[in-house]
Formats: sequence, structure tokens, C-alpha cells
Amino acid sequence: MRNIYMKRFLPAALALTLLASCEKDEYKIPDPISEISNDCIKRTLGPNIASLPIEFVYAAAIPNTKGKLAFAEVEASIPGATGTYLEHRSFYTNSSGVDVPVTVGSPSVTAGAKTKVTFTVDTNAVSLRYYYIVPSQARGKQVTFTFSVTGSDGKTATMKMGPYDVSMMEIKRLIPMSNNNLMYLSIADMTSYNAASAAANAAKIDLVYLYRTTPAAYQHGLVAPAADPAAYLPGVTLPAGVNNNTKVIKVFNLQDRNLARLQFGIYVDDIDMQKIDFNGAPNFALGLRAESGVWVETADKKYRAYVFVNAAATTGIATVSMLRYDQTAK
Amino acid sequence: MKKTAYLMALLVFLPAASIFTGCQKGLPVDEDGLLITTRRECFVSNFELLGNDFVSVRNGVPIIDTVAQTINVTVNFGTDLKNLYPQFTLATDCKLDPKITGKVDFSDLANPKSWTVVSGNRQIRKAYKVIVKVQ
Repeated sequence: MRNIYMKRFLPAALALTLLASCEKDEYKIPDPISEISNDCIKRTLGPNIASLPIEFVYAAAIPNTKGKLAFAEVEASIPGATGTYLEHRSFYTNSSGVDVPVTVGSPSVTAGAKTKVTFTVDTNAVSLRYYYIVPSQARGKQVTFTFSVTGSDGKTATMKMGPYDVSMMEIKRLIPMSNNNLMYLSIADMTSYNAASAAANAAKIDLVYLYRTTPAAYQHGLVAPAADPAAYLPGVTLPAGVNNNTKVIKVFNLQDRNLARLQFGIYVDDIDMQKIDFNGAPNFALGLRAESGVWVETADKKYRAYVFVNAAATTGIATVSMLRYDQTAK
Repeated sequence: MKKTAYLMALLVFLPAASIFTGCQKGLPVDEDGLLITTRRECFVSNFELLGNDFVSVRNGVPIIDTVAQTINVTVNFGTDLKNLYPQFTLATDCKLDPKITGKVDFSDLANPKSWTVVSGNRQIRKAYKVIVKVQ
């Protein structure tokens, strides 16, 4: 008798245990949208850096029975820099994956922190891009956005986005470097100098760019002016006063998206600049090539930077880009 | 009746068996939790030196002398000798003493760094000197 009970009970108990977590939620028909409505996504990944855009897509719709869309507006907590705009074209993605624009309004007008597009066509639904150029005064602060759309019935839908942290870093892309000419790199000025200009800005020269074929391992180098001249600065007569002892850490496979603008989804952020350890770091980096880079700390420790090599040719010409972090600015 | 008893026994003992399978006792382990085996081989089979950027800084192949217990390696000109990551490939079941936990400073070229290879049975120890030369 007991065995029969066990025989029936055990499989049933096992089945119950297995099925306990498989309870279904009943499907509910979503409420139909009966008023003007909106939605928004942030498209830009990585740190928000001054002078670069933060891109959003703002979608708005109104039921046909309620009228049409009148205007859309974005208000940023910190006014955007020149170049901030809200698209007056609505985009849809076609079957080939291409974003196709449809003009729906007049070009956006920015007044202070507000950017507005007035719709000029009879439309019930739009998807607008918003490009906010991060202003330099936003560095180290937070920025928020209020997107809103108003229909011809006078009703408004609003969506808040953020707050988003703005990086302390500054960016400079595509700085030309050349052997024996534009060979002096200044982190403070984020630019390259020739010998005459370097002499006038001696205290700001942090690295010297060289291209040497002997020894074979030298190739493209970024060397601190204070490095051993015989070994690492062969054939270079430094301008008077150029003598900073900059620390350099060579890196490979760190193709920061903002600097490299390649397919890699890697981002250098403030925290990297804060945490990198320069103890025992050398004052030279040799054997650099395209897509390599160097972490740099200036002799006065004011700046840290990541210098990325965009291109390096055997003609002794290179192009570098840099992200710079000011350790004294908080 | 017999069938039910069999089923019950199976239900009780199968999970118990699964739980205890990985807990077999008796095999000796060392202070690092590594199995002590019967192997007596004790040598370095390959050696690599990586720079700060995790790219090899070797110039040519390393010369490993298992009799003299030395590793001669030439590194590229301009290598930052203070921040290198050595990598040893050892005979099966061997381990290295001291362990390599990060960057190693090879800048004192006159005093080569030394590591001891310990055999699988933990009975044989051989100290290897790493002699670095700059190209």
C-alpha cells in the first residue's frame, strides 16, 4: 500500500517542482495611445567629452483624431556649444538598413538652452535626431535634457533624459608630426611645434617625435626631452630650454573610439586617467606604429594624456590624436 | 513492488552520487592546492618577455640551457627593462618559485633574476638564471 502511494506521489511531486516556476502571465492588450506621446534614446556611447556631440533620437506621435504635431523642443540644463541642433528631418530605416530622411519641419532654431523645430508638414509621427555639442563649461558637471512635443490640440508630452556626467578630458584629433620638423609635442597646448616654435614654448614641450631606421627597433618614437640623448635622441639638438622629463607608458590595442574612429568600441575615460600608475614609467617609447599609443604624464604632473597614433609612415610622418586630463582642475 | 523499490533507491542515491563524485580524498596537494604527481621532469621549455603593451620585446629566440640552467634572451633596443612580464613554459606538472605576479624589473643587467622550477613530485628544484641583453 505504502509503495503504491510512493509510486504515485513521487512522480507527481517531481512534476510539481519542475512546473512551479512556469506559471504564465496572462497577456494584456496594451492601452491604445489616445494622447500625444513621446520616447527618447541616447545613441552616443562612451564618455561625454567637450566639443564632441551627444546624439539622441526623439520620437513623438499623436493620434490622427487629435490633430497633428506642431513643434518639438529640447532644453539642455547647460546650453550646447555651436553646432547643437535638432534635426528637422524625420528618419526611418529602410529594408537595407539605411536611414532615410524625410523633411518634416523647418531647420531648428537654438535660443540659449532651447532648440526648437516647428513642423511644416501635416505629420502624426516623427523621429528626430538631436545633436548636443558638449560645451567646455560643462566639463566635470552633469547635464540633463528635457525633450517635449506639442500637438495642434495644444497638448504637450515631455521626457527627461539624464543626468549625464561630462568628462573632464579634452580632445584634440589629428595632430601632424614629422621627423626633423613638427617634432615637438606639447600636451599643454595640444599641438605640435617645429624647432623655432618649440624654443618659444620650451616649458610646454613634453615629447619629441623621431623616426629612425637604425637600430631597426627604433622606428617611430615619442621621447621626453630629458631622455638619454645618445640613446634615444640621436641626431637631435634640442632648442634651448626644452628639457621636460615626461613619463611615457607604451600601449597597444587601445584604439579609443573617439581618437581612432575605427571599428573598436573601446573608450578611454576619466577613471583611466586617474588610476594609471606612472611609478617607474620610462621617459621614452620606441617602436610605435599605427594604432599604438602612449599614456603620458607631464613633468609637472599637471596633465595626463593618452596619445594615439592614427598613422605612421616610413617617410617619417605621423598623425596623432590625444585625450588630455587636467589633474589640477576639479 | 520490486520495481518501485528500485526506483526509490535510484531517486535517493543518484543525486547523492552526483554531489559526492568530485570530493574524492587521498590525492596529495601542495601548499598552492596543486596536485603533487609522480613526475620528476624539471625544466623550462620556453620563455617569453612581454613589454608594458603586452607585445613581445624579444629579439630572436631565447636560448635555454637546461644543463647550465640559464635563459639567455636579447631584447629590442629601447625596451623598458623596468616593466617587463616574463612568461615561462615548464615541463608537465612543474611550478615556479617565486611566482610571477606582475611586472618584473630587469634593469640590473649585471645581476640576473633567478627563478626556481619545482618538479611535479615537488622533490626536484632547479634554479634558472634569466640573462637579459639589450640589442
